[in-house]
Amino acid sequence: MIKIESLTFQYDGGGEPALRDISLDVEPGGFIGIIGPAGAGKTTLARAIGGMVPHHYKGDFYGSVIVDSMDTVENRMTDISRVVGTVFQDVESQIISSVVEDEMLYGLENFGIPRGEIEERLTFALRQVGIEDLRCRTIASLSGGQRQKVAIASIIALRPKVLLLDEPTGELDPGSSRMVFSLLKEMNERYGLTVIVIEQKIMLLSEFAKQLIVLNEGKIYCSGPVRQVLERAKELEGIGVNCPRVASLAISLKEAGCGEMPVCINVDEAETMVRGLLR
Amino acid sequence: MISLEKVSFGYGEGSSTVRDISFHIEKGEFVAILGANGAGKTTTVKLIDGLLKPTKGKVVINGLDTSKTRVSERARHVGFLFQNPDRQICRNTVREELAFGLETVKKDMSREDIDRRVGEVMESFGFSGDEEPFSLSRGERQRVALASVITVQPEIMILDEPTTGLDYRECSHIMDVISDMNRTMGTTVVMVCHDMEVVMSYARRALVMAGGRLLADGTVRSVFRDTELMLKASLLPPQITELSMRLGKGFENADTVGEMTARICSEMQVRRAGR
Repeated sequence: MIKIESLTFQYDGGGEPALRDISLDVEPGGFIGIIGPAGAGKTTLARAIGGMVPHHYKGDFYGSVIVDSMDTVENRMTDISRVVGTVFQDVESQIISSVVEDEMLYGLENFGIPRGEIEERLTFALRQVGIEDLRCRTIASLSGGQRQKVAIASIIALRPKVLLLDEPTGELDPGSSRMVFSLLKEMNERYGLTVIVIEQKIMLLSEFAKQLIVLNEGKIYCSGPVRQVLERAKELEGIGVNCPRVASLAISLKEAGCGEMPVCINVDEAETMVRGLLR
Repeated sequence: MISLEKVSFGYGEGSSTVRDISFHIEKGEFVAILGANGAGKTTTVKLIDGLLKPTKGKVVINGLDTSKTRVSERARHVGFLFQNPDRQICRNTVREELAFGLETVKKDMSREDIDRRVGEVMESFGFSGDEEPFSLSRGERQRVALASVITVQPEIMILDEPTTGLDYRECSHIMDVISDMNRTMGTTVVMVCHDMEVVMSYARRALVMAGGRLLADGTVRSVFRDTELMLKASLLPPQITELSMRLGKGFENADTVGEMTARICSEMQVRRAGR
């Protein structure tokens, strides 16, 4: 679905390249979590996948980004955005209408969705995100978290092949954050959507993503299945990437001489591990 | 220091975002306000700062009724960090942004002292001072906004989601700075935060809100261990706290990785000795 080869990008006027020699291959139906410290290049990578780099953000672009057989440099943003639905980090910059329903309709009408299909898509997206009651509310009356949900619903209504989300739960409470990730999982498993999420909440990424990519200083620091990446928790903390507390607990117990044990990614696994140790 | 008496507020006629809430915060407390999106947390902190006036009830800060005092007067006591840093940043460089608060709030401060204070904070936050705030990333703009609040050293700091958009290292750094001000200078901290690990590590008291009402007011540990309350407020306790509750007897109050590791090791030894 997405193939990136030797991508290096330096913003015009930027001192150092934001991305250096990035290569990755995302299969259709993948659920990828991207994490890394500030300045690691996460948002630039998302912009490159969505085509904003180099179409909106100018700079020196080396290598290639192919999304659904489209070279993002050679194709127009209009075509790329039909495949990649992006939720930006700063939702304020994404929302342009003053009422929730209008915001939802804006994308659907611009994409030329048949009139008869619009209502079904709109109600489906609002229901999936759990904000049916906000449909007629003004954007100005919504909290930051509610606006974030509106931005996510607007993109889901467009049914892209790839969902690309840059810190989609930044302003959401823990319950809503889990709900968003559960929704992404459902879209991924039931509808086969490829999901790529940039997120600082490693607990959520660890539970929901299939693979993690850790970026640092514009390069891929490590990548692989979630558990494999979390085995390097100590090392990751050194570059500013936190790990779930239950993963740190498994490593801490191993260091304390309690035996060899696989890293945990949620509380259920941690409970099983501890009960096993105490048996 | 901060007192809310039967305070209600609605954004439009007939609406009610905050309903009849009362609490008192003493000098030097570190309080977290918790709740789901739309619970009324941001409205509550804006009421505390006087950015919003209650439709019913009274908000008093340092003896000043916020309905009867000007923003400039309250700004001498209270530093406010907005949820969205772009609503706060107004100058062209980080140095100017950090100096702005001191220039407007502490008018008797000499240029030399302002420059010295700004330099200290820039060094602590790793800014050169020449950065243009709006060319920085969201996380970096959040740090600029927070640094400008900290520069003024207010008696009360109200922080609306201070860690949003920050990575682990940045989050630990800014929370350590805030915690240090709380401990050494007695700065009162009122923080809205969705990161329960941060709340557990730094705050001592938690106010839990839902549907505009105050559901609970207690120590952070007691609030996180109240399963029914957490459910009602759509919140989740930190992982280690949840684990300790599931493990039950012998694991009470093991809320950190260190505490839990020690408890498990000691329990393993007891069980080995008993065999």
